[in-house]
Amino acid sequence: MRLLKIRRNTYGYFFITPFIIGFLVFGLYPLYNTFALSFTNTTLMNASSAEYIGLDNFKRLFADDFFMKGVTNTWLLWILNFTPQIGIALLLSAWFTNARLKIKGVGLWRALFYLPNLLMPATIAALFFSLFQFYGPVNQAIVQLGIVDEAVHFLQKVSVARILVIFIQWWMWYGQTTIIIMAGIAAIPVHLYEAAMVDGATGPQMFRRITLPLLKPILIYVFVTSLVGGMQMFDIPFLLTDQRGGPSSSIMTNNILMYMKFSSSKGHIGAASSVGVLVFIMTTVVALGIFFVMRDRNIPSERKKKEKTLRPLRTQMAELKAQE
Amino acid sequence: MMIRTSAKSPSKLGLHLSRGFIYALIIFLLLMTFVPIWMLMVNATRSTTEIQQGISFWPSTHLIENYRILGSKGINIFKGFSNSMFVSVTTTLITVYFSFLTAYALVVYEFKGKKFFNNFIIVLVLIPTQLSIIGFYQYMSKLGLTDNYASLILPTIANAGGVFFAKQYFESMLIQDLIDAARIDGASEIGIFHKIMMPLAIPGAATFGIFAFVFAWNNFFNAFILISSFDKYTLPMLVQTLRGDVYRTEYGAIYVGLAITIVPILIVYALFSRYIVSGIAMGAVRE
Repeated sequence: MRLLKIRRNTYGYFFITPFIIGFLVFGLYPLYNTFALSFTNTTLMNASSAEYIGLDNFKRLFADDFFMKGVTNTWLLWILNFTPQIGIALLLSAWFTNARLKIKGVGLWRALFYLPNLLMPATIAALFFSLFQFYGPVNQAIVQLGIVDEAVHFLQKVSVARILVIFIQWWMWYGQTTIIIMAGIAAIPVHLYEAAMVDGATGPQMFRRITLPLLKPILIYVFVTSLVGGMQMFDIPFLLTDQRGGPSSSIMTNNILMYMKFSSSKGHIGAASSVGVLVFIMTTVVALGIFFVMRDRNIPSERKKKEKTLRPLRTQMAELKAQE
Repeated sequence: MMIRTSAKSPSKLGLHLSRGFIYALIIFLLLMTFVPIWMLMVNATRSTTEIQQGISFWPSTHLIENYRILGSKGINIFKGFSNSMFVSVTTTLITVYFSFLTAYALVVYEFKGKKFFNNFIIVLVLIPTQLSIIGFYQYMSKLGLTDNYASLILPTIANAGGVFFAKQYFESMLIQDLIDAARIDGASEIGIFHKIMMPLAIPGAATFGIFAFVFAWNNFFNAFILISSFDKYTLPMLVQTLRGDVYRTEYGAIYVGLAITIVPILIVYALFSRYIVSGIAMGAVRE
């Protein structure tokens, strides 16, 4: 019987084999290859005569402002869209799940807020490009309304280009973040809130002392996945303006720089790989670091944690009551 | 009852005020979501002259004409549509099947290294895989697979996010009894997966399938790097060429081209939004 069970369990290996082969062939080897290429001067032309050049590609990247500019831009565009994204998502989820407010149509609203996330980013970039063109509808509207005398070259302004990328990214993602956070709130046991309400806690107090601490794993998940996506931002900033991250490289992200090196007249895939490698290391270290450091602290015992969140609230309530 | 009375501490007026504010914000967000999309749809039906004359939120009658102009300048949007459809459908079938197969193994069998593999999946979800695209490109060109849809489709055999999702789904179904019963009836292990578990998992597979489809449909970066011949272009690549000089002044045609890329998604969402919304949370909650 036991032997049968062991033999049966080898099916586990059979069933995960396609995944492992797929990963080795299409995931791990390309990653290794990218690292290997980053130490060479390979171009699309000289594939056979490429040489090992050590860290030259990396030295060149750091000597050139362009790379640092790409990294700074990417972080800036990500942080400035993620902060309002998580902010509005938390607010909406708190309101939508609040039993006292009884907001109607919650399911419909969040489904509608999520919609932009499903639309093709290339299309959205092209759409906003058309809307904000010199002869585009936005200019027509503000001229007709007399807000400005003359149409504005929106997409040639550094600040407008950046704000548009930030807005579009925010617009595409806040609905999803709201849905995830609401699901996290729904998973919090109701009795915690009931207990707090018996003790006379107000809505904001319960949000700060119960909801937020218990949402931490979800918030970390949202944070890390958004970061990983944000560091690879490409479609929107690439297609919104001149396909080089202009004006003045103000929306040139890591991936746009990588692409530009790849598509340069000679096709410097060695240099392009070194961009990929550096950004890969940066993102992986930050993402995995945050994920495992923050998460492990959470795991020990969920129950104790809940107690801990409740206790200060209880004492606070008792104090308040005593003061009355 | 106690709860009710103590909960009503904020005044009724205050409650009305905050409700009013929240609904106002909801309306504002809805406008922000739909005005750009609506403008896109409306402008697809307006002639270039009309578009140049000013904004309108009311559809016009030039849809067919715009579509003809779009086709007359060298872009075969229908070809792009069927290319995208082919890539997205094959990708979806492959990634759903292998994700669920892998997840099934992780939920049903006990084997050495399973725990490591589980953690490994989580790490893979959190790794920026797009950044190895250059190495991937060079390797594919050595194999002669650049400008070939295989380079877009085959990598999705190993989709960590899909395994993660499917695992949650299998864990939420109570399945051990069914499997035991099937074994007593003499079913093979792979037969149990194909004939019993996969049919039972169809709601989950369909939900994940929608995400896989949308992701493949919208994917620009990989296709942009790997596909080079014009007749193999997928829709997002055609969208990028719409920005070129040929269409510079054909606004109506551009908007039609853009509309074609999102209408199928709008239809899918109108039909399945319930599953999609519940599916989003499934990948994230209970980590």
